[in-house]
Amino acid sequence: MSRILIKDVTKAFGDVVVLSHFDAEFVDGSFITLLGPSGCGKTTMLRMLAGFEKPTMGEIYIGDQEVSSEKNFVPPERRDIGMVFQSYAVWPHMTVFENVAYPLKMKKMGKQEIKKLVDEILEIVHLSQYTQRVPSQLSGGQQQRVALARALVAKPKLLLLDEPLSNLDAKLRDSMRFEIKEIQKQLGITVVYVTHDQLEAMTMSDQVIVINKGCIQQVGTPTDIYRHPENQFVADFVGKINFLPAESKNQKLTFKHSNQQIPYGGDLIGDVVVGIRPENIRFVSMKGDLTGTLVSKFYLGDVNDCRIDIGGELIRVIAEPKSFDTCKEGETFNLRIDEFMVFKDSGDDFHTKILT
Amino acid sequence: MQVLKLRPPLLREGQKWYFDPKWLIIIVIVGFLLIFQVLPLIYLVYRAFFSEGKFSLQAFKRVYTYPLNWSALVNTIVSATFSMIFGVLIAFPLAWLVGRTNLYGKKFFRTLFVVTYMVPPYVGAMAWMRLLNPTVGPMNMALQKLFHLSQAPFNIYSMGGLIWVLTTFYYPYAFITISRAMEKMDPSLEEASRISGANSWTTLRTITLPMMLPSIVAAALLVFIAAGSAYGIPSIIGVPGQIHTVTTRIIDFVYIGSQEGLTDATTLAVFLMLVANIVLYLSTFTLGKRQYITVSGKSTRPNIVDLGRWRLPLTVAVTLFALVVVIIPFVTVALSSITVNLGNSIFSLENITFRYWERIFTRKSILSSARNSLVSAVTAATLGLLVSSMMAYLLVRTDVKGKKIPDFMITVGSGTPSVVIALALIMSMSGKFGINIYNTLTIMIIAYMIKYMMMGMRTVVSALSQISPSLEEASQISGASWLKSMKNVTLPLIAPALVAGWFLIFMPCFYELTMSTLLYSTNTKTLGYELYTYQTYHNQQTASALATAILFIVFGINWLLNKLTGGEFSI
Repeated sequence: MSRILIKDVTKAFGDVVVLSHFDAEFVDGSFITLLGPSGCGKTTMLRMLAGFEKPTMGEIYIGDQEVSSEKNFVPPERRDIGMVFQSYAVWPHMTVFENVAYPLKMKKMGKQEIKKLVDEILEIVHLSQYTQRVPSQLSGGQQQRVALARALVAKPKLLLLDEPLSNLDAKLRDSMRFEIKEIQKQLGITVVYVTHDQLEAMTMSDQVIVINKGCIQQVGTPTDIYRHPENQFVADFVGKINFLPAESKNQKLTFKHSNQQIPYGGDLIGDVVVGIRPENIRFVSMKGDLTGTLVSKFYLGDVNDCRIDIGGELIRVIAEPKSFDTCKEGETFNLRIDEFMVFKDSGDDFHTKILT
Repeated sequence: MQVLKLRPPLLREGQKWYFDPKWLIIIVIVGFLLIFQVLPLIYLVYRAFFSEGKFSLQAFKRVYTYPLNWSALVNTIVSATFSMIFGVLIAFPLAWLVGRTNLYGKKFFRTLFVVTYMVPPYVGAMAWMRLLNPTVGPMNMALQKLFHLSQAPFNIYSMGGLIWVLTTFYYPYAFITISRAMEKMDPSLEEASRISGANSWTTLRTITLPMMLPSIVAAALLVFIAAGSAYGIPSIIGVPGQIHTVTTRIIDFVYIGSQEGLTDATTLAVFLMLVANIVLYLSTFTLGKRQYITVSGKSTRPNIVDLGRWRLPLTVAVTLFALVVVIIPFVTVALSSITVNLGNSIFSLENITFRYWERIFTRKSILSSARNSLVSAVTAATLGLLVSSMMAYLLVRTDVKGKKIPDFMITVGSGTPSVVIALALIMSMSGKFGINIYNTLTIMIIAYMIKYMMMGMRTVVSALSQISPSLEEASQISGASWLKSMKNVTLPLIAPALVAGWFLIFMPCFYELTMSTLLYSTNTKTLGYELYTYQTYHNQQTASALATAILFIVFGINWLLNKLTGGEFSI
């Protein structure tokens, strides 16, 4: 358990700056997610926390200890951190027990105590019956749990997870997500989790840090990030969204292509971009905010995914599944907008472009 | 539920036997190897036990009660064992320093150590017998002056000298094997150890080293076999000091020429073959299965260890090592080639001459030997690559039955000591069984292929297995025939490997000594043999000029290969 402080950290590999002026504070016992497209610098940040990379500039504190600065650098083995790697990194020449016992052996603990602690943690990750197996006899999910047990066994101050679920199949990923969250709550440990999967970020985190091109875009709770994104990049990266250029005047937003209007109580004036999440638009029989013609619909089981022409532009609407049977292509509908966000129009599409 | 009846789809009604054209390839390759490798080797063993037509251990009794032979056996085992131990002790830290740390100039060092692998070992022997000559060796004299010793500190014509030269020329085998294994290792395995609380040193000891153990053992066995079946080094370094090895004894016995001499050679060769095959079996078929597969995830960037304040001292140490083991010997040989009197200093103008260089480009016998070597190496490399490519395709792309048989035979061939291959060919291919190719270049080419084909095969196999079959399938689905797909997709992708494979067979054949020494005739002398005779009987400077020329060719080809394959391959 530990408070983490990252002060103005910049990292460059040669001339390439992969992370610039990163400032953050992680509260003790919280679950933090670094979210961003691949190549955004999130893994680099994690590796600097672990001590595998040295920041080019800036300081990092874990608890009260300064682990990285101009003057000091604490190597990974003396940072008291647990880490789960994307490839699991379970040692093939050791059994499950030996793998998990390794951090304790490094602490020079007695045999009895090591056995007790290893058994405890293997119980938590449901691997008790596999202690004497070697990794090649385990499935991917089991190897992943060995890695998790190894990261947790020494009761570290901090647990780092580097896209630990990306190599698992969809079903297993789902259940591991809850398991990791459960274990974190049980142990009350600080966790920093790196992922590009917004679903993982949403379900597990107390705090999400969205990163793009080496810069923090937003820090907030999952609801903050989703409902009140600070810019178009965040809005687009976290979830699905329609962006419509509009003009704000006299408490009204006028969409530039369709000339339809909706009321607006905010204080942005002039050229703006309106962001509407597809699930915040509903089909209504009367008194809609917009009208449009159904162009196409896709039945996905849990939802009906529609494209609607509101006059000069298409918007995506995610409607209830039963609407699939009643709506016909070519018909006109009234649409109610439950929630939308407004961004200043910067005139380019820089923010919406996601480099992957 | 209905039970589906499965029937091989290619078998039509009433057709009992289906001929797969791939079998034809296998039959041709197996046939070739059977006639020129397996049967001669079997005949060799047979001859050792049935020397006079009936079973007898007489030959064994005679050979192994003769003290000189016994000491040769002991010398071989001792020198090979120590070379193996020292070779690995040198190769592992070097591979680690060059591959996994921030040592200065590690790329340069890597190339330097790997290139040694392609240099004929007898060049090392020539250099060291000059440098550490007990009376006039310049290195000996320098050390004597430096430490005010009453006599020269080293005598190269000793067991220690033999082990030293064997080690410095065979450790690259271990270096390459261990380096490759280190590159393949997922760096997060080591990072996981660091984060678990282990420092660099503990990580090296508890994670890196045990994970590498199978590769290290394989590398050690490789050095053991190479050193144990070496002929060039022991014949130049060992024989003058009365240190005989099994290989030099075998060749001595063959040179005696009598029936008894041949039988004695055979009997010794059987011992060498047995040792080599047991080791080969251990390393390929037992250790091979224990190799840990460490498929790395995304982060394949190797984990570079910061040496900290050890960075400079270690770089200096590696530089000194490179200087002593690689640079000084090569420079010595090069300088010898332009020295009039080897006893005098090279640094005086009247002692410098280019007449030996002129000689190697004008003397008829040298030119004809060079031509012989070129012809046989080019033929062996081309045929060898053809077989390698076909084998690679069979092994990687098909599951035709029996593809393992020629693979096994080629592996055994390359693991058999050169002396044994040559002797077996002499015994069986001089007309006894209807084939008489003794005294021709053909027998040379066949021997080269048996010994060195595997280098090409491994290169092509690994290149082909990295190409997803779906690339070929995508071409076929786009309308290209199988042959066109091969030509348009597969061939361009494996072209660098084919070029590399060709040179990997060509180079050792071009300067081959051991087999040539047994198989040559007056018209089929090779470059390696020519050099050897000049070194031992005529004129060391001429031999040095030849060796230097060979070094230039090796470096030149390495450079060319690097250019041709876009940096993907160099030897």
